[in-house]
Amino acid sequence: MKKRSGMKWNRYLTAGLCMTGLVVFLALLGVFWTPYSTTSMSASQRFAPPSLQHLFGTDNFGRDIFSRVMKGIGATIWISTLVVALSGGVGILVGALTGYFGGIVDEVVMRFTDAVNGFPSILLALVVISVLGTGQRNLVISLGIVFMPSFIRIVRSEFIRLRDADYISRARLMGVGRARILFVHILPNIFSTFWVSVMIGFNNAILAESGMSYLGIGVQPPQASLGKMLSDAQGYLTTAPWYALAPGLTIVWIVLGFSLLSEGIQRLGK
Amino acid sequence: MITIEDLSVNFGRTEAVRHVSLEIPDGQILGVVGESGSGKSVTALTLMGLVSEEATVTSGRILYDDVVLQEAGKPRNKALYRQYQGECMSMVFQEPMTSLNPTQRVGRQVEEMLRLHPGSYGSLEGGTGACSGREEGAVVCSGREESAVACPIRGEGMGFWPGRQERQAMKQLVLETFAAVELREPERVYDCYPHQLSGGMRQRVMIAMAIILHPRLIVADEPTTALDVTVQNQIMDLMREINEKRHNAILFITHDLNLAKRICHRIAVMKDGRVVETGTPEEIFERPGEEYTRNLIEAVPSRMKRRTRDERRGSIPSAAVSLQEKKPDAQKEVRAEAAKGRQIGAEPVVEVRGLQVYYREGGNSLFSRGKKNHVVRDASFEIKRGEILGLVGESGCGKTSLSKAILGMNRDIAGEITHYSTRPQMIFQDPYSSLNPAKTVGWLLEEPLRARGKLEPDRAMSAADMRAAAMEMLKTVGLTEAYYHRRPSQLSGGQRQRISIGQALITRPGLIIADEPVSALDVTIQAQIMELMRRLQEELQLSYLFISHDINVIYQMSDRIMVMKEGKIVEIGETDSVFAHPREAYTKQLLRES
Repeated sequence: MKKRSGMKWNRYLTAGLCMTGLVVFLALLGVFWTPYSTTSMSASQRFAPPSLQHLFGTDNFGRDIFSRVMKGIGATIWISTLVVALSGGVGILVGALTGYFGGIVDEVVMRFTDAVNGFPSILLALVVISVLGTGQRNLVISLGIVFMPSFIRIVRSEFIRLRDADYISRARLMGVGRARILFVHILPNIFSTFWVSVMIGFNNAILAESGMSYLGIGVQPPQASLGKMLSDAQGYLTTAPWYALAPGLTIVWIVLGFSLLSEGIQRLGK
Repeated sequence: MITIEDLSVNFGRTEAVRHVSLEIPDGQILGVVGESGSGKSVTALTLMGLVSEEATVTSGRILYDDVVLQEAGKPRNKALYRQYQGECMSMVFQEPMTSLNPTQRVGRQVEEMLRLHPGSYGSLEGGTGACSGREEGAVVCSGREESAVACPIRGEGMGFWPGRQERQAMKQLVLETFAAVELREPERVYDCYPHQLSGGMRQRVMIAMAIILHPRLIVADEPTTALDVTVQNQIMDLMREINEKRHNAILFITHDLNLAKRICHRIAVMKDGRVVETGTPEEIFERPGEEYTRNLIEAVPSRMKRRTRDERRGSIPSAAVSLQEKKPDAQKEVRAEAAKGRQIGAEPVVEVRGLQVYYREGGNSLFSRGKKNHVVRDASFEIKRGEILGLVGESGCGKTSLSKAILGMNRDIAGEITHYSTRPQMIFQDPYSSLNPAKTVGWLLEEPLRARGKLEPDRAMSAADMRAAAMEMLKTVGLTEAYYHRRPSQLSGGQRQRISIGQALITRPGLIIADEPVSALDVTIQAQIMELMRRLQEELQLSYLFISHDINVIYQMSDRIMVMKEGKIVEIGETDSVFAHPREAYTKQLLRES
């Protein structure tokens, strides 16, 4: 049934909102309060299985895994948000300019993005990190560079599609300035497409961040991170499976939640 | 042969077709005429069993001879339909661009009809009805059984992968059919991909596909709407010829009453899902029983009722010149213009001298500069103040390139264009793409004022003034203030075109270029928009370059007309004298064919 607003609520949206809502709530809560300190160790509490005291059990140093997961979610989401903001922002700017104006600059930028795309993304991020050094800021920069090409391409192709639309021709005839055409006339029309790619990019950023931390070049200890926890848990897979399961399933939960959310948003318009 | 009894089709809760009853006897051409949304296409698609799954038949039934094809309350019998589709009834669609598969040669696509219906076709000369004489398939229509010419192709057990002999025979049949639809060089066409053919040729291929199995019924859904006038005429002639030679019935769906009049034996007029009137073309045109039919007939632009300039002037209240601009000097300007009298001024608003427009072929790559390809050659003319200059020509003749060059939207030009007015505006053909969907109507109407304020700071207006001007403009183009907050997606095509006109007029440009502004609209809406444009032209002393492929529309609108062919202006002159004494053969042809 077509409603006047053209919007239609769907189950994907409900499920996605519930899942991501829980995650974001835990992350925000984790900034101010966690059940236990994430760094206090206790020799007597090593490898406690999940219980009411320790929801996800404890790790090899006797730290509460649930608290560390809460902090880890916070770090992961924060870094992913920054990565998407950086690459999406540059993507909009560069994609808009190259798509609208075309020409030599467009050609050069496109070949550059091809080159970036040619590298395996983790490898490229590794190279950037090894040049810039580790640390949260450098992690964001390196992942941002890796994610930029896809945003540039998406924004560019949308701008190419719309730059010759009749209503843009008319705006030009009215004497509307170029910057205004780009960002007031065209940009609002690409938001639905762009928003979907942001959600997908966000998911990829979460996975990439976890992967980098897993390799030890992401978030540095003692700060909690889901990827780092996974790699720490490797040695105890048989003796304390909950140690690996907690961060692993959390990553799955976050990614699934955001996938459902982006799917729901896509279906909203139909 | 086909009986549609009391048919109603719903999409969800929307009633698309309401209690329609139609009969199509063998060999007759029945025209179904109506505007978009009148349910004519849904009726045809339901008859063909092609309507989408969301549609439900809520009353009535469809009969093919005595076989019930569809009935209210029963799901569509797809297996039954498979026996009829293609063999007994086939369809020609509107859009020849999208109804052929772009990745396959057209010959093969037509041949596929034969592969899918083995044994149901005879040789062309035999004139065997496909729907006749298939003994084992007794369900299938009993038809004419004049000459059971031996099928040159083994019907049984051929399967989808025929042998060489069969392939030869099929190809032969396809080539014969191509010849029958008057495709020149059938051999060459056989091996062409759709993009290598013109729109008219593609539509001929579609018709070939529709008739190759000799169906008793051909459903043609706006088969000529996407084509140029001259091509349109050829296709119409072809359809009539096919009907005369092969005696198949045609259900001809169109929005154009004049087209229907030309070839149909009977016409049914539809409105809001109902058949409001049926009759022979003579009855419909001479004694239309319904108000709506009369409106339709009157709305069709025709050469019989051009109003002269004087008559037009008389019908417009001179006080209607609305002064939206609050700046006193601007007001003075408008008043001064109005005082000058409503006559075509001697001074031009734009002069074009020796204009060439070209595009570079293959010039898209980094390292190559393509060679020039001229789309407009040596165009020279001028448009005077307060004049409507009509530009007519077929698609691809360079009309749009010329207009874009005048507006400075095309840089690849040579020659001289002199403007005597500031910032001329353009109205585009497609009302669905000429308004920014992300904005509200109010914003759209104010944007030209904002842009002008930026460029000429002394003419900047306050937000309240712009809002007032937008409200005023809404009234001027015949809408209410309630539309201020709507978005384009909530408007109909005609309403959108009104907003487009308002947007173009709000800064009071001297010259408006209107590129087929009414071609995408229904005929009654078309008449309203033409009336609006004419009224505004009178009130605001505008000049139009009015572009259309429809010479009747041009005739009604223009003071002078300009005929273009293959990039050249072949004739230019006063409308009446061009119509009365066309000099060029091409102009004569255009006049004859519409």
